[in-house]
Amino acid sequence: MPNDKKSEPDKTGRPAVELVDVCKVFDTSATPPAYAVDHLSLKIASGEFFTFLGPSGCGKTTTLRMIAGFESPTAGKILLEGHDVSGLPAHMRNTNTVFQSYALFPHLSVEDNVAFGLAVKRVPRSERGDRVAAALDLVRMRHAAGRKPSELSGGQQQRIALARALVNEPSVLLLDEPFGALDLKLRREMQIEVKEMQRRLGITFIFVTHDQEEALTMSDRIAVMSTGVVRQIDDPVGIYERPTDRFTAGFIGDMNMLSATVLERQDGVVEVLAADTRLKLKTNAELPAGKDCTIAMRPEALTFMRDSADDAAFAGKVESAVYVGTDRLYNIRLQTGEAMTVRVRNSRADSVLRIGEKVSLFCPSSAIHLLSDQDKK
Amino acid sequence: MKLSRIAGLYVPIVTILGYVFLFAPLVVLVIYSFNAGRSTVVWTGFSMDWYVQALNDRGLQRGLQVSAIVAVLSAIISTAIGTSAALAVIKRPFPAKNLFSTLLIAPLVLPEIVLAVGMLVATVWSGLALGYLTLVAGHVLVSVPFTFLIVRAAAATLDPRLDEAAADLGAHGGQIFMRVTLPLLLPAILSATLLSAIISFDNFVMSTFVSGVGTTPLPIQIYAMLKTGLTPKINALGTMLIGVNVLAILLVMGRYLKTVRGTGQ
Repeated sequence: MPNDKKSEPDKTGRPAVELVDVCKVFDTSATPPAYAVDHLSLKIASGEFFTFLGPSGCGKTTTLRMIAGFESPTAGKILLEGHDVSGLPAHMRNTNTVFQSYALFPHLSVEDNVAFGLAVKRVPRSERGDRVAAALDLVRMRHAAGRKPSELSGGQQQRIALARALVNEPSVLLLDEPFGALDLKLRREMQIEVKEMQRRLGITFIFVTHDQEEALTMSDRIAVMSTGVVRQIDDPVGIYERPTDRFTAGFIGDMNMLSATVLERQDGVVEVLAADTRLKLKTNAELPAGKDCTIAMRPEALTFMRDSADDAAFAGKVESAVYVGTDRLYNIRLQTGEAMTVRVRNSRADSVLRIGEKVSLFCPSSAIHLLSDQDKK
Repeated sequence: MKLSRIAGLYVPIVTILGYVFLFAPLVVLVIYSFNAGRSTVVWTGFSMDWYVQALNDRGLQRGLQVSAIVAVLSAIISTAIGTSAALAVIKRPFPAKNLFSTLLIAPLVLPEIVLAVGMLVATVWSGLALGYLTLVAGHVLVSVPFTFLIVRAAAATLDPRLDEAAADLGAHGGQIFMRVTLPLLLPAILSATLLSAIISFDNFVMSTFVSGVGTTPLPIQIYAMLKTGLTPKINALGTMLIGVNVLAILLVMGRYLKTVRGTGQ
């Protein structure tokens, strides 16, 4: 803690956490088994800020609790720094957790809360004092050392919870929706502060959230989860700009999606038919002719003016318009019946349209995402 | 006008009468404990003699000693059983949990005399002699539902995440209990101990059946003395018992108020 390890990749290349085919079934009597976590395999590098992102019930918290040791996997292995810890109880793992509800000990002072982990591990009293003070300095809460948790605000309690975890110098810090109970302004502050802290300490952070913005701002890599399955793992830019999966595309930001059918495939280019429009798209995905797929476009990628000759074009009618300050949002009903949302800068010449007006929608083919339908759920 | 004024007085009058009914006997008992004469009806002057006599009465001394020993032992055992059962019910999954809980509270709704007869039959059947052992066991039986209920209510308010947080910080089961569970439940555990001690000290029905020769607890000793005549000595003793009980209850209430204020609920 006091020694600021600079964030650098682990020389050994050994992942901090590795999940191998991990499954969790809570009700084992049900047939077919309802997987809370469904054959999950991934590696988290040492020093990485890794986020599990997904809606509630997607298995992200269960995954975190299995890494912490509060739940044991029904099948599969969990490795911490190369060692199989699947059978180890929580108190024997070198991980520490920051809970959403803080879970500070109400009968202990802030100082004793932070010292708890050191006390149960019989760290000498003199060393304990120094480390607790350093941890409290880290979260800028040293002035509150003598107070009880009930005398602190939510944000302050969360800082103490962080200090209580970090003082143990864990190899992995687990954060379970830690800012869920904070108001928006405080949440933003804490996000920046925690990210900065992680960069400085070089500790692996595994973060769980349902807030996509939080995930995008803080993470090195994000695993998008739904129904117990990881849909896509990528860095924030990749998750936002190159979704490969229908669920990810729909969950992160706003997205227009159209069902499509592959007509032809040649040298990494496929021709698909969507909303009566033929489109040629580049892809590496395995999409044989005749296969169903989905094409997705961000509302801000669509325009009402052709910018380039090979833009895709769809015909439709303006159904509604909303003014949102810098932009206007239009709902367009395509001739084939699908609804599309378009976000246009007010500074653009094509920004003002009347309701009922017939329009053509254009989208550069580079901004059209081709998603396979294999895991449409 | 007049009628409504009388109607307005109805509630205060009934309230006052209710309190008079509750406390008049106690007030009379306390006043006559200071009577100089033998009568518990006619006031003849102030004296502390009956207190001296009560404190010097061999039978009462012995009864007080028996009651105190039984109260302390049964309170400790009852609290230990009640606390363990409460923690098991709140913290651990096991089959037939509700049945187990209900059976533990059952002595509360069963007529005490039935329990007492049952204890006596069981004692005779097992061949044990009536004495401290049977008294303590009987009193534990009567008070264990109370200690269980008090500690269970407190344990139910504990955040289960605290156990996880402690385990996460490296504490094993014993350390979690000593450093987290026990300190947080201590006010409830102390209240339960004090209450079960009072229940034991006041107990009459169970004691009548399971006390042996030479282990007559105080309430039964007092009842026996009434047969030979009512003197202000009993009033004096009664006054002292009221004092002790009120003090104990104030202690419990004090602790309770403190925890309520401490958790800010």
